Amino acid sequence: MRPPVLEATGLGVRYRRGWALRDCSLALPAGRVAALVGPNGAGKTTLMHAAVGLLAPARGSVVVRGQAAFVAQDKPLYETFTVAEMLTFGRRTNLRWDQPAALKRLAGLDIPLDRKVGRLSGGQQAQVALTIALARTPDLLVLDEPLANLDPVARHDVMRAIMAEVAEHGLSVLLSSHVVSDLEETCDWLVVLNGGRLQVSGDIEDLLAGHLVLTGPAELAGTLTGAGGSMGRVQVVAASRTARQVRMLVRGEPPLDPRWRARQPGLDELVMGYLRSPESVALPGLAQVGR
Amino acid sequence: MIWVTWRQHRAQILLTAAFLAALGLLLLGSAIEATLYVSGHAAPGCPGSAPACAPLEVALGERYDAIYSIFGWMPLVLPALIGAFWGAPLLGREYERGTHRLAWTQAVPVWRWLAVKLAVLGGVVVAGGLLLSLMVSLWRPVFRAGIESSFGNVGVFNMVGVAPAAWWLYAFALGTLAGTVLRRTMPAMALVVAGVAVTMFTLFALSEHYATPERVVLSDTTVLADPDARLVGATWVDPSGREIDSPGAEVCPRRVDAGRSNRNTEAWEKCLFGKGYGYAVSYHPPTMFWRFQWTEAGILLLASGVMGGLAVRRTLRRTA
Amino acid sequence: MIEFQLDRSSGVSTYLQLVHQVRQALRLGTLRPGDKLPTAREVVESLAINPNTVLKAYRELEREGLVAGKPGLGTFVERGLPGGTLADHTRLRRGLETWVRQAREAGLDEEDLRTLFGAVLADAAREGVA
Repeated sequence: MRPPVLEATGLGVRYRRGWALRDCSLALPAGRVAALVGPNGAGKTTLMHAAVGLLAPARGSVVVRGQAAFVAQDKPLYETFTVAEMLTFGRRTNLRWDQPAALKRLAGLDIPLDRKVGRLSGGQQAQVALTIALARTPDLLVLDEPLANLDPVARHDVMRAIMAEVAEHGLSVLLSSHVVSDLEETCDWLVVLNGGRLQVSGDIEDLLAGHLVLTGPAELAGTLTGAGGSMGRVQVVAASRTARQVRMLVRGEPPLDPRWRARQPGLDELVMGYLRSPESVALPGLAQVGR
Repeated sequence: MIWVTWRQHRAQILLTAAFLAALGLLLLGSAIEATLYVSGHAAPGCPGSAPACAPLEVALGERYDAIYSIFGWMPLVLPALIGAFWGAPLLGREYERGTHRLAWTQAVPVWRWLAVKLAVLGGVVVAGGLLLSLMVSLWRPVFRAGIESSFGNVGVFNMVGVAPAAWWLYAFALGTLAGTVLRRTMPAMALVVAGVAVTMFTLFALSEHYATPERVVLSDTTVLADPDARLVGATWVDPSGREIDSPGAEVCPRRVDAGRSNRNTEAWEKCLFGKGYGYAVSYHPPTMFWRFQWTEAGILLLASGVMGGLAVRRTLRRTA
Repeated sequence: MIEFQLDRSSGVSTYLQLVHQVRQALRLGTLRPGDKLPTAREVVESLAINPNTVLKAYRELEREGLVAGKPGLGTFVERGLPGGTLADHTRLRRGLETWVRQAREAGLDEEDLRTLFGAVLADAAREGVA
């Protein structure tokens, strides 16, 4: 069992205008592809910047085991450099550097080495930025909105490249997105941030299996939701009701009353349910993470 | 890291080198030409401070008017350019383009990235300033043999000795700090130009306090014998040795001069000297050249160090 | 070699789609014992899916005894599925085509056909035929 590749303990980051991240404790198991989702301003970028050392936390700590490579949201590169010079930049600023692999990747993508970076297409620039991150043979790859501003073909290409690296080298990935459907087939771990607080962190399959969407007559709602919002082994994450019917996202065992119709939620539904109810949380005990 | 520094800043380095080379050629050419001209036109013993040399000096001045005007602007313009194009973009452009998130997340620690960049570029800036000083020092005597003005004329003073190197380094550090604080290149450039100008005038105003001025009481002229001295102040003293603001009209009547003539003033001064009045002048003699050079360089180096330190501290505090 | 495809709108989970496609290829004979399945890297490089999904599908197939992983070599087909020979398939398909044509001539639309086929399958299952 490998120890978590990233571990945050009581992490808090504040800017001049206030806390961007508060009391955030999570652990990412090694070898996973973790999706960091949440609305804009939820603290996704802040968490990533803290993890790669661009930000010093005000409280707590965040530790990466091994080397982290980071690609920022706008995929910054030196525009006046040629692609070959960008590789030299990477080689000169890193101890671990796999130049043959980088050259092979770029050749496979038909990106000319002598072209100035500023003259490449957006998709090609994203690929060069990713190539530099991968050539460092990192243990953790941190990608801030890797698919933003890319056309569908480039999105697919970037995702294929990341998944192939995961398959080949077993590296861990933390990638953020505010579009959940981008992540459904690629990620196996979910981290939800909302308003600077951690709301969900867990294995996607377990999360989906552990939640139910219940639909039933409105008068049944009371049998599930006690005074504290939960009853027995069921926790109501989010509920929406009309005059006669109630629909709820719940966590835990299915109810016994046969008038409920129950089904497993989709990833979209799960994420939306939590984001709509910021007070609900689904966090594992930290010990459980290393599985 | 040295390769990275060179690749990122080679445009500035090459442009500055090209500028210095062009300036060197210009100075060399004009010096050779002037030597030929002097040997063809000079009266015996010229160039020098003798009155007979004045026409030659005027003629040289006219011939090399353009070079003189370039020369006149250089003490202010060159440091401003260094600050704007070497200092301001160093961190300002990284922040502006977001490339600091690329540069500072590689394996090289941020402090080393900063140390190499500041040391290499700062070193090149100092070397460039010293080279400029050397070229100017070799060039000037051709025109001004015997007439020293490198101390009294603050423009010349800032182009010789260690002053250019200190000014360039100061401007570089100021630009770096401005880029770090503003995180944008253009505003940092504007700030650095204004900052260099303000500093230059401030230091000029301060410079008379670099040493205790000498004082001499002149009894037959109001003009110091040494034209290269820096005047600090002057006042009349009455026959008892008391300093006075201005001798009253009852001592010697003074009539206003018309046009460019100063005949009446001269007559008035002569009258005062005749009645036992003296003219007290406090000044810094040219022998203070190196003391002033090192004092000014010391202030600028200290300021550069402080600004560089602030820029480093701000960068290492990591508020991406 | 099998080439996987994804139907993202089917609602069937990705790993199950992979399992079904291998089973189907075994039935149709496009995969035979001894054949090598594509590596996880090859699959994810064409489909852009999580490699753990591929591994999970292969584990499921392994559990069913259809394939076996050989360390360092890859995953290989162990046995086919008793879905009849290719000749059987061709013969049965012809029969089905004839049946569909006759049903069309009798005025049944596509939905009627599906319902009828489903009902016969269900009856057969009840009688223990299928």
